[in-house]
Amino acid sequence: MKITNLLMTAAGASLLASTAMAGSHEARGRDGHVNLIYWQAASIMNPYLSGGTKDTNAASMVVEPLARYDENGNMVAYLAEEIPTVANGGVSEDLTTITWKLKAGLKWSDGSAVTASDVVFTGGYCMDPDGGCQQIGQFSDVTNIEALDDVTVKITFGVPKPFPYGPFVGQETPILQEAQFADCTGVAAPTCTDANFGPIGTGPFVVTDFRANDTISLEANDNYRDATKPAFASVTFKGGGDAAAAARSVLETGEFDYAWNLQIAPEILVQMESKGMGTVLSSFGPLVERIMVNMTDPSASLGDERSTVAHAHPFLSDINVRKALSLAIDRPLLVEVGYGKAGKPTCNVLPAPAIYNSTANDACQVQDIAAANALLDGAGWARGSDGVRAKDGVRLSILYQTSTNAVRQDFQALIKQWWGEIGVETELKNIDGAVFFGGDQSSPDTFQKLFADVEMYANNFSGTDPEAYMGNWACSNIPSPENAWLGMNMPRHCSAEYDGLVAEMAETADIATRAELAMAMNDILMQNYVIIPLVHRGNVSASANTLDGVALNAWDSELWNIADWSRK
Amino acid sequence: MSPVGGMQKTEGRDMLDDSAPLVKVENLKMHFPIYRGILSRRAGEVKAVDGISFEIMEGETLGLVGESGCGKSTVGRALLRLYDITEGSIEVNGHDVSTIEGEELRKLRPEMQMIFQDPQASLNPRMTVGSIIAEPLDEHTELSKSGKRAKVGELMDAVGLARHFADRYPHEFSGGQRQRIGIARALALNPKFIVCDEPIAALDVSIQAQVVNLLEDLQAQMGLTYLFISHDLSMIRHLATRVAVMYLGRIVELAPRDALYDAPLHPYTEALLSAVPHPDPSQEATRERIILKGDVPSPSNPPKGCNFCTRCPKVMDICRSEEPKWRNFGDGHFAACHLLD
Amino acid sequence: MFNYTIRRLIFTIPTLLFISFVIFFILDTAPNDPTGNLPLTIPPEVREKIRISLGLDKPMFFRYLLWCQQFFVNEPLNMIEQWFNITIGDGDRLRVQSWATRSPVVDLVVERMPQTLWVVGMSYVVGIIIAIPIGVISAYKQYSWFDQIGTFISMLGFSVPTFFTGLLMIVIFSVNLHWFPSIYDTTHKVTDWGSFVFQVKQMIMPVMVLAFFNAAQLSRFMRASMLDNLQQDYVRTARAKGLKERVVVLTHVLRNSLIPVVTVIALGVPQVFGGAIITEQIFKVNGLGQLLIIGIQGADIPLVQTLTFIFAVLIVLFNLIADILYGLLDPRIRYD
Repeated sequence: MKITNLLMTAAGASLLASTAMAGSHEARGRDGHVNLIYWQAASIMNPYLSGGTKDTNAASMVVEPLARYDENGNMVAYLAEEIPTVANGGVSEDLTTITWKLKAGLKWSDGSAVTASDVVFTGGYCMDPDGGCQQIGQFSDVTNIEALDDVTVKITFGVPKPFPYGPFVGQETPILQEAQFADCTGVAAPTCTDANFGPIGTGPFVVTDFRANDTISLEANDNYRDATKPAFASVTFKGGGDAAAAARSVLETGEFDYAWNLQIAPEILVQMESKGMGTVLSSFGPLVERIMVNMTDPSASLGDERSTVAHAHPFLSDINVRKALSLAIDRPLLVEVGYGKAGKPTCNVLPAPAIYNSTANDACQVQDIAAANALLDGAGWARGSDGVRAKDGVRLSILYQTSTNAVRQDFQALIKQWWGEIGVETELKNIDGAVFFGGDQSSPDTFQKLFADVEMYANNFSGTDPEAYMGNWACSNIPSPENAWLGMNMPRHCSAEYDGLVAEMAETADIATRAELAMAMNDILMQNYVIIPLVHRGNVSASANTLDGVALNAWDSELWNIADWSRK
Repeated sequence: MSPVGGMQKTEGRDMLDDSAPLVKVENLKMHFPIYRGILSRRAGEVKAVDGISFEIMEGETLGLVGESGCGKSTVGRALLRLYDITEGSIEVNGHDVSTIEGEELRKLRPEMQMIFQDPQASLNPRMTVGSIIAEPLDEHTELSKSGKRAKVGELMDAVGLARHFADRYPHEFSGGQRQRIGIARALALNPKFIVCDEPIAALDVSIQAQVVNLLEDLQAQMGLTYLFISHDLSMIRHLATRVAVMYLGRIVELAPRDALYDAPLHPYTEALLSAVPHPDPSQEATRERIILKGDVPSPSNPPKGCNFCTRCPKVMDICRSEEPKWRNFGDGHFAACHLLD
Repeated sequence: MFNYTIRRLIFTIPTLLFISFVIFFILDTAPNDPTGNLPLTIPPEVREKIRISLGLDKPMFFRYLLWCQQFFVNEPLNMIEQWFNITIGDGDRLRVQSWATRSPVVDLVVERMPQTLWVVGMSYVVGIIIAIPIGVISAYKQYSWFDQIGTFISMLGFSVPTFFTGLLMIVIFSVNLHWFPSIYDTTHKVTDWGSFVFQVKQMIMPVMVLAFFNAAQLSRFMRASMLDNLQQDYVRTARAKGLKERVVVLTHVLRNSLIPVVTVIALGVPQVFGGAIITEQIFKVNGLGQLLIIGIQGADIPLVQTLTFIFAVLIVLFNLIADILYGLLDPRIRYD
């Protein structure tokens, strides 16, 4: 099996790397202090109670999962001895169980031994229905977690799981210490402030002082499994301010060594970088800024059936219109305006990891207004006296919504202009992010209700496996009043062919076949133009030039390998 | 230099040979600049006091009368150097106070004091009566604490205030009582000369007499010299030894009280006196009131010639071109009017 | 005065209860979702569960009463327990919990107090210390060059927002000169001379930016008040008494002029506790202002509710204090 080879290679490489380091006989804490700035301050150190990236990243220095993803999206065993696969017998043939083996001699930072029962406890902690666990999605279909012995854990799924690496892989689901959290399950979870602020972990650092939404002070874990790591004796994880200030503190004043998530105007970053104190890094995960096309009628007059599959959209149900909208967009210009180094034009909603990236739709990289106009002319959409196309009394007039965000508003303005050139009238609307992405049932402005013709936002998936992500566009995931508008199939796209591919992927374990299936699904969405991808967005961070070992990772915590960081 | 001032000085002295003057004022001018426009350019000046001269003998009360705005209060304040004067000289008790400043001037303050028109506004609202009266003692004497307290008590007795009022604040008193506080405060340093700037104008009529009597008693006891500024001719007649009449920044007539009231020389004085009701009903019946027409001209732009010419009922051509001369008409009676030539 | 104070204090209770309800109502009706800022990878069903675990499925009135119980009963009891080291009842009470940090809001507030009081409070004190002499001299020498420059500078202070002055200072003193840090270290402890110097260095910029802003307003108040009083008759009386000019200005005029200024200063104190959101954000002084803004952004309703209510209490309280101060300072004012 190919997946096995890939995973084994990865595990081996990391093992090799750590042996090499150990050979250098360098002492833990030799490089003193390192300063990190996350302008969105961390609120809590327990990833199960907060899904925020800032929180899971902070926690990743302290608590660790069984396996992580490296900067290329490959799985690397952390607390586990190796990555279980069907080939090595770790994953059962029927794909319903996975058995993890812990590394020998692992210790918590308090000196006690890490056992399989900690892993079992952690699973139960998150799956407790009263706990409000934010990572419960990682445990979907898990029916049982049991310890076979002190170092072996078996996870059983209710259905075959071709990709059984949801629980305990990646920064979202690290292992908690049972002894510390035993009294913190269910409704008591939020009341254990001390544990949530200072979890005992296996990671390279331990928390010495946690100030919520402000600063975390950490020092090297004396019981860390590699005696030569971490190179830094202590860490300050500062929050607050804004992205520009964080960039300045690394690139211009040198007060900090590493700054996370620097989404600021590209030209400003370039200018700051020119001071020569630090470097701007970018990495590309699967995050895509896209336009979702509403295939259903959002007219307010429909009442309860507004934006539901009961009524097809008056003009967006015509594929020629959707295609013309996509053709009219100049994606490279959008990247230049909005993201610079942090973006790439994309024609796929699934552009990464690389093995899943389809090349079938690359024509969209070039804007073609003439072709778009020709297409609409051919389809019978004739320009009216006001320059707006119409057919049978239906005008091409679009309500275009997105969240409030400077770059998104720039994109809206540009796209409105391009669509104007092809005879499509556009009305722009922006909604506060907390409302737009919030699930308030009483608000008409959520992205799931989509009471508009098109909407723009960015989305991605965690980890490297796109199965769940691509499953978003199955018929069953269409948001509607019946399912309380839960569901991520914003275009309300529904095709038997697509659902068939989703079902097939759910039963396929071979990674190459999975990649083919995912690309086929991507192509269906692209070639039907129900999703118009715009920009493949990356993470931008900055690192001081004196810092060594930073490997920006789009698939896991940016601090995933902080144990390997050192001073040049 | 105005010729008027010069004459007054020499001839005034001839007449008052028996006592020495305590206050000597020569050609006093007090001009306030006016600024206009964005750049605050000096656009002219208000000639509030425009060249006056007089003397005040020790122990006497000089009444200074005139309409509102004629500059009489300015004269009082300028005399005590609450203003920096524009021109002229002031001598108080042998000291030239016209140009001295700062510490030198402050040293002389105890000799000359002032009683203000508005007893409410002139007392610091955040200080108790005791500390208001005692403050000059802090500043100018070496008295011990108990000495000061005793002195404050004496002063309060002298002005007819109960001693236990010392711990109260000014707003707790009536107008008459406040004026008594003001008087006690003025007396604290045993001054020789007091300017009373309309001290009773803000008081009820029933209280006025009490305050005036108090001032008279204090003068008799302590040998004070007063410059009593008022627009109330009856009160001046009651109090003053001599009376000066002011019009538009200048003194138009100066005479011993009886001479002025019985035989005024200047048409302006006549007009003022004609407005005073007479206590004798038979005389009151025959009183002919002289009504002056028009408004007082602006002190920033006084008329040419005699400055009363715009309103004088007996105006002549010469009045509009030439200033009348200040002349002595015998027995210390001075006036400046072309009619008298 | 005592009776007056007691009466006013009693009246504040219904006022504050009403305010707390209004705050709660507004926050509840605001379109806001505590799961709105979570990554989109968290599925909607999970979001719904999170909302239920936060108690959002309960009716609003119930949640309000729960907050009241937590804030007015449990928190004070908890405080008493901590102060006197005793246990009341079973000691197991639910405190007001922040949704984002899952920790008691009051503890967060207490944790933020030092930097807010140090930086914002200090800037207020520095502002007052700068403003009073400037106001006094400006008024005493009205229309002099000092007054003109003072007017110009305070106009600048009024009109130039702190985020501009703050950024300007960072660019000059941190980026170019490297004199002061651009990021405030809230964990720094003063233990010796060196750490004290560092504390001063990191406080200078935020304190000066805010002090400049505060001083601009206060110095205008001071000047106006001085001008009012300088023209009063009692000042002439004081001069006629032969007092030194210094005494006239400082004892007589200044003392009277300070009455309204002290009131304004007292009314401004709640702002100190409220923190200076913008300045705290710029210099990363993570104080109460920053706590509030994070709470608002994250739809952390218990946090926002509690903080806003504490500010409301402070505002009501300092209004009362200002009134009482006025009564104490100005003998003409008498309550009852």
